[in-house]
Amino acid sequence: MNNYSIHKKRVVGVEISNERTTYAIVDIRGNIFAKESFDTRDHPDINEFVTVLSERIIAMIEANGGYETIRSIGVSAPSANSLTGYIENAANLPWKGVIPLGVMLRERIGLAVGLSNDAHVSALGEQAFGTAHGMQNFIIISLGIGVGSCFFSEGREHHGSQGYAGEFGHTCVEDRGRECGCGHRGCLETYVSAKGIVQTAREMMVALDEPSLMRSLGKLSPRIIYECCEKDDAMAIEVFRRTGYMLGIGLANYASIVDPEAIILTGGISHAGKWLFEPTRKSFDEHIFGNMRGKVRLLVSDLDDGERDVLGASALAWTVPEYSLFK
Amino acid sequence: MEEVDQIKTRVVGIDIRENRTTYAIVNIRGEIVAQDYFCTADYAEITDYISALCERVLSLIDENGGYETIRSVGISAPSANYLTGCIENAANLKWKGVVPLAAMLQDQLGMAVAVANDAHITALGEKAYGSAHGMKDFIVVSISHGGLGSCIFTNGLPHLGVNGFAGEVGHTCVEIDGRQCGCGRKGCLETYVSDKGLVCTAEEEIARSNEPTLLSQLDELNIRTITECCEKGDRVAIETFRRVGTMLGVGLANYASVINPEAIILTGDMMQVGKWLLKPMRAAFDGHVFHNIRGKVRILVSILKEGERDVLGASALAWDVKEYSLFK
Repeated sequence: MNNYSIHKKRVVGVEISNERTTYAIVDIRGNIFAKESFDTRDHPDINEFVTVLSERIIAMIEANGGYETIRSIGVSAPSANSLTGYIENAANLPWKGVIPLGVMLRERIGLAVGLSNDAHVSALGEQAFGTAHGMQNFIIISLGIGVGSCFFSEGREHHGSQGYAGEFGHTCVEDRGRECGCGHRGCLETYVSAKGIVQTAREMMVALDEPSLMRSLGKLSPRIIYECCEKDDAMAIEVFRRTGYMLGIGLANYASIVDPEAIILTGGISHAGKWLFEPTRKSFDEHIFGNMRGKVRLLVSDLDDGERDVLGASALAWTVPEYSLFK
Repeated sequence: MEEVDQIKTRVVGIDIRENRTTYAIVNIRGEIVAQDYFCTADYAEITDYISALCERVLSLIDENGGYETIRSVGISAPSANYLTGCIENAANLKWKGVVPLAAMLQDQLGMAVAVANDAHITALGEKAYGSAHGMKDFIVVSISHGGLGSCIFTNGLPHLGVNGFAGEVGHTCVEIDGRQCGCGRKGCLETYVSDKGLVCTAEEEIARSNEPTLLSQLDELNIRTITECCEKGDRVAIETFRRVGTMLGVGLANYASVINPEAIILTGDMMQVGKWLLKPMRAAFDGHVFHNIRGKVRILVSILKEGERDVLGASALAWDVKEYSLFK
């Protein structure tokens, strides 16, 4: 056997989100060989969750080339801290308090485990295999239920002193504005997250005396509002215009501080197309500091939402020192 | 001893400002061996300025140990770009366009020269010899020269951004459709938290107030005179700083929520105001920063002297460039 080449050319990427846990075997180039998922909420006990996840991962590894082909494991989870390897007080996961998930998985599976939060892992995925490939200074924004971010400085992630950096959704854009779940008022997230967009729509329906397709729909979501835009509904278009105006201010403030080469938008809301991007771009250009205007690219991720975080988790897996219980 | 090589233990730090250029010989420990200054505005032509600066620096070196004791030169200048070594379109300096300052000085002085902008230099000074000593992730905010600038350090290194413009916190929007800023936009933090912003707030408060205030008797509204009125218990003066401090606190909270620094270090003339500014700043900061960061970010006022910080920072920068000497 040739001793001068690496034998382990694959890793496992795991994405734990509030609803689903997805795990995949990924090679050096980001090719996914096998991918499965299960409902995170089925396992409210963390020990049970770790047991099930470990068993499923081991079964997938055995069915796809075997244990000795796998180098390590990377895990993405909300509120995970890469400096400690813990999930810390996640607001929306079933498991409360501080959970040493990295150590727990390493003990069960016998491979090195890297753990980090979803915003950081998304950024790693974009850098390794996506839109940020080759970039040194960039910001990744995730727009969905919440609004998260991660920025890279000279090719390296900025974690901050305690690993909490990037809480872009909780910067104040409107003094004494909308009430936020975090306890403050006027957080950007209360305007541009899924819930914020729906609230804008509901407020407009009350305040304005105009017809709208949205009025006849019982349940509203950003997707439903987007579909109304596609049918030329003026009020729905105005909902995204207001959303884009707020998002543009937030992004401009962020860019004025960081001076990135690009801002890359990911997540469900990033699929709202021109209805969101045209007003975002306009407001961004209006609010960014003059000497950066025209120099920052606003991009939408070209990775598949279902693959980004397992790819990012696979990229994270390569950053941990190799370790095997059986060798 | 000839068996081992000797290092040069001094550098020159230069702080170029709109009205004054300060230059000093500084040793490894940040002790200023000699310092002098002249008026920047006396030289409308950049080539005259460079000649005068070089002559003065060389004569200071001659009087204080000689040329062979100096390792290199570091310079702080507004709108200077560390990546290119140039001053680029400085709004308030007399020299327009792009000035290749590092190359010009290196040519005439015959030793290595590094250039960086004032916010970056201030942060380097704080890290080497001041309040950020030993820190890896921190922000230094300067409220002076009529503006509000900052520099971020990440993992022990400055984050300069892709074009070298990072840190423009003074031009982040804190009030939609707020005060008109010199940069062309509205509601920038700098329009509230700067010398000008302070005066504007004071004028608004004087106009709005129904009670007599010492502020309306002042010949000139500025940081010092308004602070003096606070010390005398003037309620309008106190309210003025409360509003300025609150805006600063909100701006810093947003900054901290994104960066999660271990400390924010405040520098500049505005810091002499003390509690009148800092108490409302702290209250607004705690009221707006993301909860898992609250209580974890130290807000500090620089321990360095205003007149020395930037020559010390420039000296710290000088150590970053590769040594080079024309004569050896």
